[in-house]
Amino acid sequence: MRQMTFVVDLDRCIGCKGCQAACKLENGVALGVGRNKVCTIGPSGVYPNLQMYFLPVMCQQCEHPACVQACPAGACYKDGADGVVRVDRSRCVGCGRCGRACPYGMIYIDKELRTADKCDLCASLRAAGDTPACVRNCSASALCYGDLSDPDSGVSRLLAEAEPQHVYTLRDGGGGPTVRYILRRGEWVDVLPQDCVEHSAHWKGGPK
Amino acid sequence: MTEHSFQPLTIGGLPPAERTGHGLVPKAPASGGEPETRVVKTACRACIANCGVLATVKNGRVVSLRGNPEDPMSKGRMCAKGLSGIQALYHPNRNKYPMKRVGPRGSGQWKRISWEEALDTIAKKLMETREKYGAEAVFCSTGGGGNPEIWSIARFCNIFGTPNWFEPGCAQCYLPRVVAYTMMYGGVDPSIADSNALELYFPEDTPIKALVLWGTGPAYSCPASGGGMVADLRAKGVKTVVIDPRFTPDAAKASVWLPIRPGSDVALMLAWIRYILEHRLYDADFVMKWTNLPYLVDVETKMLLRSKTGSAPGQPDTFLVWDRKTDSPQPLEYPWNDALDPALEGEFMVDGRRCKTGYQLLWERCEEYTLEKAAELCWLDGAKIEEAIRVFTDNIPSGLSLGVATDQTPNSVQAAMAAATIDLLLGNVERPGALLQRFRTSGCFDMPNYPVPVAADRLPPEQLKKRLGGQEHKGLGIWWAGHPSSILEAILTGKPYQPRVWIDRSGNKLGATADSQRWEQAIHKLDFIVHMYMYPTSFSAYADILLPAQEWLETDMLVETCNTLVARQAVTHLWETMDETLFWSKLAKRCGELGHEACRKAFDAEYMGHDLPYWDSMEEFLDHWVNRLGMSWKEFAAKAPIAYLPKEQWRSYGVYRKPDPKNSGKPAGFATPSKKCELYLESMLTLGRTGRPFSGIDLEPASRDYDPLPYYLEPSESPLPGSEIAKEYPLVLTGGRVPYFHHNTLRNIPWLREMYPAPELWIHPEAAERYGIEHGGWVWVSSRRGKTQAVAKVTQGINPGTVYMERFWNPETLNTETHGWKEMNVNMLTKASGPFNDVVGTYTLRAFQVKVSPADAPPPGVWLNPEDFRPWLPISAEPTEEVRL
Repeated sequence: MRQMTFVVDLDRCIGCKGCQAACKLENGVALGVGRNKVCTIGPSGVYPNLQMYFLPVMCQQCEHPACVQACPAGACYKDGADGVVRVDRSRCVGCGRCGRACPYGMIYIDKELRTADKCDLCASLRAAGDTPACVRNCSASALCYGDLSDPDSGVSRLLAEAEPQHVYTLRDGGGGPTVRYILRRGEWVDVLPQDCVEHSAHWKGGPK
Repeated sequence: MTEHSFQPLTIGGLPPAERTGHGLVPKAPASGGEPETRVVKTACRACIANCGVLATVKNGRVVSLRGNPEDPMSKGRMCAKGLSGIQALYHPNRNKYPMKRVGPRGSGQWKRISWEEALDTIAKKLMETREKYGAEAVFCSTGGGGNPEIWSIARFCNIFGTPNWFEPGCAQCYLPRVVAYTMMYGGVDPSIADSNALELYFPEDTPIKALVLWGTGPAYSCPASGGGMVADLRAKGVKTVVIDPRFTPDAAKASVWLPIRPGSDVALMLAWIRYILEHRLYDADFVMKWTNLPYLVDVETKMLLRSKTGSAPGQPDTFLVWDRKTDSPQPLEYPWNDALDPALEGEFMVDGRRCKTGYQLLWERCEEYTLEKAAELCWLDGAKIEEAIRVFTDNIPSGLSLGVATDQTPNSVQAAMAAATIDLLLGNVERPGALLQRFRTSGCFDMPNYPVPVAADRLPPEQLKKRLGGQEHKGLGIWWAGHPSSILEAILTGKPYQPRVWIDRSGNKLGATADSQRWEQAIHKLDFIVHMYMYPTSFSAYADILLPAQEWLETDMLVETCNTLVARQAVTHLWETMDETLFWSKLAKRCGELGHEACRKAFDAEYMGHDLPYWDSMEEFLDHWVNRLGMSWKEFAAKAPIAYLPKEQWRSYGVYRKPDPKNSGKPAGFATPSKKCELYLESMLTLGRTGRPFSGIDLEPASRDYDPLPYYLEPSESPLPGSEIAKEYPLVLTGGRVPYFHHNTLRNIPWLREMYPAPELWIHPEAAERYGIEHGGWVWVSSRRGKTQAVAKVTQGINPGTVYMERFWNPETLNTETHGWKEMNVNMLTKASGPFNDVVGTYTLRAFQVKVSPADAPPPGVWLNPEDFRPWLPISAEPTEEVRL
């Protein structure tokens, strides 16, 4: 089965968050929510010997998505044609179970539409032969997308060129995230996007 | 006509129901038929990088922006600032019509007036002031962010007859580097954020092996162009060294990060130079033949020894060297004489005068800056400094890109001189891989970056001599600019004369100028203030007339990007906004009609000559430049972007080696008086004593000679042992960029403020603990000049003795008594008083002492939660006709 997904080169990502603005513009995403987010991982270590990288996160296009399983209305589904997890808004009742089920916090209720909303790799752009907005706007060419099931796709080739020990996924709670991260320089840190607070004004206090 | 206020919730006139969180909903076509959609190739101006943009317009509305892949620098990418263009264009609080103040200053009460009335009122005030007090009592200012109108302002001032215009940038941003590199080798400086270092934008071609990013972070300053370019270079194996007090994205990805103490850069640079000289790591052949370091300098006069002066314009003088074969001084005819064996080092007696080589003087200047000393002064590890130097010297070709950081302390010009010296010693100039280049240009216009001719010769010499700060800081003459702090002092003291009328176009002078509270005092002493911008800022609250400027999606401009010419094109036009390049022409015209002779003659083509007469429309102005390509602006805009040269021809390497037919086929040399790279910068002496080459007339000398070699100046507020001020203010403050804003722009954009709602104060955990600060907690930051608030980011990514704070102002409190500039404004802390940089008058925006303490709460009225920014979401607006006057 085709599996369209992202492969992200973390050595390239410069943390500019242009992908967040690109997604908001393309998809008309409301204030306070986002289909994607760039997490700052670090700095870790002790000054001045530090490590830091940036982790763009979005729907992980899981093989067995928790949101699909949690949806009581049959609105969340995995598209058989491309493996992308989608929301059928005409079916969605806005209960929010998908959001609570997603291990990555990457599906949310849009307050204005009162339905679930999430990254669909810019389905309408792809249908028109175009590229997801975040990918085409990525300043550092860190974001790539393509069919993981096709060994000749750009993303498959990128993964084939990387050393296997440099390829990561977010923590897998059983859903089987398909988004792949390549990190050659630096040590992978196991964090979840919802635990990353990007601006200190949004910090509500951490674990004591 | 109605009275308006800037109350964010009431302006705009649309009920909240029409504001949607989903950006702009394209309007349905009136006929009910297919929507009319077109895509316009234009260029962004949310910062100064000019990235190529494809703007989609549907039924007259701009609905989508994306990068144009034809752009050789941004390659189809856009950053968060550029992508906010639609929110900026349709912002409910745009300045829509000319307005005049009807309540007391600061009351926020305005009345809409016509453009005719606005221009009449301003022109009459200008003429009246000129009549009573002289043209110099009028001053103008501009600022980066949005559409910099730098040459438009200078041109108007020159023609009107006032020598006083300023920018809070200039001596604090970029000009020090322009001065140093122009004087030392005669080519472009290596600033990535100013769209230079163009060699690097072709990563598949460039052989560069090591890149030093000194006080610059392309990932933050220009992600879509420079940020991506550096990422490409790293991916192909180019090593990077980052020198920055902050652990920035580029620092995190560097081979070596040197978290330097803010303000100590020149000490570190002198240590680099010392190490390079001591270990003979320089390019010996280049230094001998293509720099002036072997030339003899009279120790007493500091001038080079000459055997004869150039016989014709463009011919260099002949300088003396010490010939080791004959053990005597000998003239070295340009370019070189194989019969001579010049000494690089040493002290000699020539005709009873004590002389040293330039090299000797450079060595003596840097001799005390050992790695150990630099480590101590700069809060670094000596071994790390050595590792960084070795990355640079062992990976040739290499290059050093100097950023804005060093422009923001009084040691500014010397930092640029030292940085240039480091690259030039290695021969990193005009060879493939080097950042210092004289690549070809289109020749479509004559001014740097922006085509408006500055008409410098139109300023009468007696007026030039009245330029505030102009005698002391003659380096400002390279941009024909005045000195902000001297203008401030003149307003406050009336000495040497009283400035009275201020026309400003910029993001927010109260957010951008050092020691903002003193500028507020100055504002209250002025007779009349005009503010022109795309939206109201804190400064607007104090203005008498407000003028609506165009957003970049409404403007036309010719832009040069590498080997490509781009048309920024008006995608739409809203309300009664005006292109600023046109505004100054309209103002000059009205002054001419009121009897200003020079303004009247400024429309006479014959009289203006190469300075170009003023224009009645943007099309007329732009036609003039693209006519050089044999096209009209309309024809050009339909075809642009166009490559004016294939990249291989455009990248002209080794310009200095090419034979010059006008000089008997000798090599062309560098664009300096000696045609050599002038590491011993004798022309600094001439500049300080006469103003030349930047002034067309001789000026009175500055109080002290400018130094031909870089020197280190410890910040006047220093944290080093023995410092008195550090007892009360123990931390050094530095500034820097985030990728969401350019200077003081875009603080009113919902998408950007939801990501970055308030300035963060970076503080190390040890310091945070000492001062009772918690991550995410609100803090007071105080200096000798004032106090303001920020939110703490407790991080290992900064030295325990250093803090970082980003510039900010709060448009949401515009109509309160703070006018949005007092809550979180780092420039209430910065220093507008001396010591200034001798050459260009730089004041202190970074590297001064502060203290921090916990605050109970955020400042009243500021917006922090994403939903707070809803009132600023775009409103619908129909296209309007351009204003005809």
